[in-house]
Amino acid sequence: MSTTTTTPMKDNKSLTDRAAGRLLVDPTLGVLALLLLICLISAFALPVFLNPSNLYNLLNTSLIVMILAMGMTVVLISGGIDLSIGTTMALCAGVAATTMNYGLPLIAALLAALATGALVGIGNGLLITRLGLPDFIATLAMLGFASGILYIWTKGVPIIGYMVPEFYTIGGLTPLVGPLTLPMLIALAVALVLGGILGSTRLGTHFFAVGSSKTGAMQSGVRVDRIRAQAYIVSGLAAAVAGIIMAGRNTNVPADLGNGYEIQAIAAAVIGGAALTGGRGRILGAILGAITLAATVNLINLVGVPSSYQKIVIGAILVVAVLANRLSAVISAKVRQRRALVLEGIPA
Amino acid sequence: MSSTTVNTRPGRRGSRARLALACTATAAALLLTGCTTVNSSGGGSNAGASGGGGTDYLPDETVKKIVNGREIKVGFAPPILSEFYTQVEKAAQNKMKEYEDRFGVKWKWERQGALNDAHSGTETLGIVQGYIARKFDAVFVCSAANASTMQALYKQGSAKGIDFYQFNSTEELANPSQAENPTGGLSTVSNIGYDDRWQSGYLAGQYIAKQLKGQGSIIQIMGPSGSDWTKLRQLGFKKAIAEYPDMKIVGEADGGYVRDKGLTAAQDLLTKFPDVKAIYGENEDMALGAAQAIDARGLKHWDGTSGIITIGADGLVSGMDAIKAGKLTATVDVNSSEMGSRMIETLFAHEFLGQEVNQFIRIPTGVVDKSNVDWHEGVLKNVLSGPGKY
Repeated sequence: MSTTTTTPMKDNKSLTDRAAGRLLVDPTLGVLALLLLICLISAFALPVFLNPSNLYNLLNTSLIVMILAMGMTVVLISGGIDLSIGTTMALCAGVAATTMNYGLPLIAALLAALATGALVGIGNGLLITRLGLPDFIATLAMLGFASGILYIWTKGVPIIGYMVPEFYTIGGLTPLVGPLTLPMLIALAVALVLGGILGSTRLGTHFFAVGSSKTGAMQSGVRVDRIRAQAYIVSGLAAAVAGIIMAGRNTNVPADLGNGYEIQAIAAAVIGGAALTGGRGRILGAILGAITLAATVNLINLVGVPSSYQKIVIGAILVVAVLANRLSAVISAKVRQRRALVLEGIPA
Repeated sequence: MSSTTVNTRPGRRGSRARLALACTATAAALLLTGCTTVNSSGGGSNAGASGGGGTDYLPDETVKKIVNGREIKVGFAPPILSEFYTQVEKAAQNKMKEYEDRFGVKWKWERQGALNDAHSGTETLGIVQGYIARKFDAVFVCSAANASTMQALYKQGSAKGIDFYQFNSTEELANPSQAENPTGGLSTVSNIGYDDRWQSGYLAGQYIAKQLKGQGSIIQIMGPSGSDWTKLRQLGFKKAIAEYPDMKIVGEADGGYVRDKGLTAAQDLLTKFPDVKAIYGENEDMALGAAQAIDARGLKHWDGTSGIITIGADGLVSGMDAIKAGKLTATVDVNSSEMGSRMIETLFAHEFLGQEVNQFIRIPTGVVDKSNVDWHEGVLKNVLSGPGKY
């Protein structure tokens, strides 16, 4: 389901030593440890935190950021960043809602939203690869375009009146089978597809190669521009999927629906071990990062502290996660160096 | 509650002769009628909520001569583009259309609202500065920016000949002395807002208490901490609940004034407090999110005798639809339609007729539930289908 640029050590160390070593070099285990720590603190502070219905709500709440973070992770791995992901989500939600209001069938609304997400991704890719704009600037401009289009189109008035029973299911407000909601299954499908692409396909390898070194990838015959554009198409599609779910969950689509979601997606991906410098990241990490953020908000809501504290706590978690990632990268590099020396017969 | 202070600045434009004619005619009319209120519209004004002047005291032909086909350039700066501010704007534009048809006034109307963080107020400052630089005649402003910052900006703009009108703002409660002393720093021609800002919180609290007969626990979904609207509605809500010793606010969370955060916050709080009897969403979107949380948990909405009460504030069409569907118990309608209409009446009286206008114009508010939702929704839909479009 996922892959990293690091590989586990294969030596004669004990299982415990290997696990400890892996914890140091694998950022996904780091975020898992962070999540468990938050859960432990929460459970001690507020026993209601472990209430199954609370954990269920927490998971459901995290799904939109989770899907966005998975798309963002692919972009980060390929060495880019997508600041337009939140507004693309809102735009796609708006397309789905408006299509429904025009009386077209649900499937047409879903396809239209997905096509919009893909188009935004292509737009980002063209701005970056054809016009040579830096990723940050291109996607920031796209954020403006997508947001502006939605404001002009809606005149600032939320889109309403599109909800049909199926949309309640799409949004997760009505469970699909037992306690399972459709967004849970969609998130799982997105994770399997993207994890599969990153872990088992040539495209996935190319994402990592381009993110690690564009020049190196180019010299190896990788079509760097195409790969970078494809990463943005992936994030555009992920935003479209999240937008469709959001339209169902929110039951209306205001023009500012996506505000701040790009930051949450980046935060979740980075907490999950993705490197802003490219070449590093995991889909499982993005999932755990999104759950970590949702758990933090959940804890804060349960405790009843003001939102300003929420921002500080999330900021602190982000700093800790990035520092842990950096430490892990340094240790990982040293381990690789030591292994190379051992292989060459030089005492490390 | 009533508006008692007046702005004594004369209208800036128009010839002295026109101004003299208007003042004389108005004074004569006032002497004859002994009344200072304008014609009210929409949902029925309270007697104390007098407007900014009036056109009913003069024949239309006289007003037409005063207006003389003049064009006025007006900026509209809400804190954000939303359903609520669209309702305010539409009501204003209906009134503009009426004045255009009756008196021949020509309007140039521009709307710009913050697209990102409405609650910082920073974007609104830039928008208002833009209107000043482009020499608009008058600007309607509602901003979350610091009051003293806004006053400084109004003064700066006024020095360049621009008249400012605040609407839907909280200033007179944040600085109570200004309600008594209009020279206490307030730099706008007039302030048009709903009656007693915290009353929307107070009315919501009272409604819950009456429905629950003064007993039960409540959770709150609040707007961003630090927002003036949040602070003042909280004052009102807590004041109302404090009058009932057997009622208790057990939990609160931030819903960011948006529906999905309201839903998440309500879900979290309902897990911790499954026995709550009511949810107060400080605005309608958050209350609607809370209503969705009740559905998602399979709980029962208030049916008049049992279930969970959800109440918000704003008076949006979507809220009224939810009330009719039994998903939202009630909302405090802060009367967007009358606010918009009064804004234009006040501007017209000041800019064209040179009349004195009230410094504080307060629009009445009221709770909407199933018993009266048809009337309120009818008014709103009538406004939204009106002819105004600029």
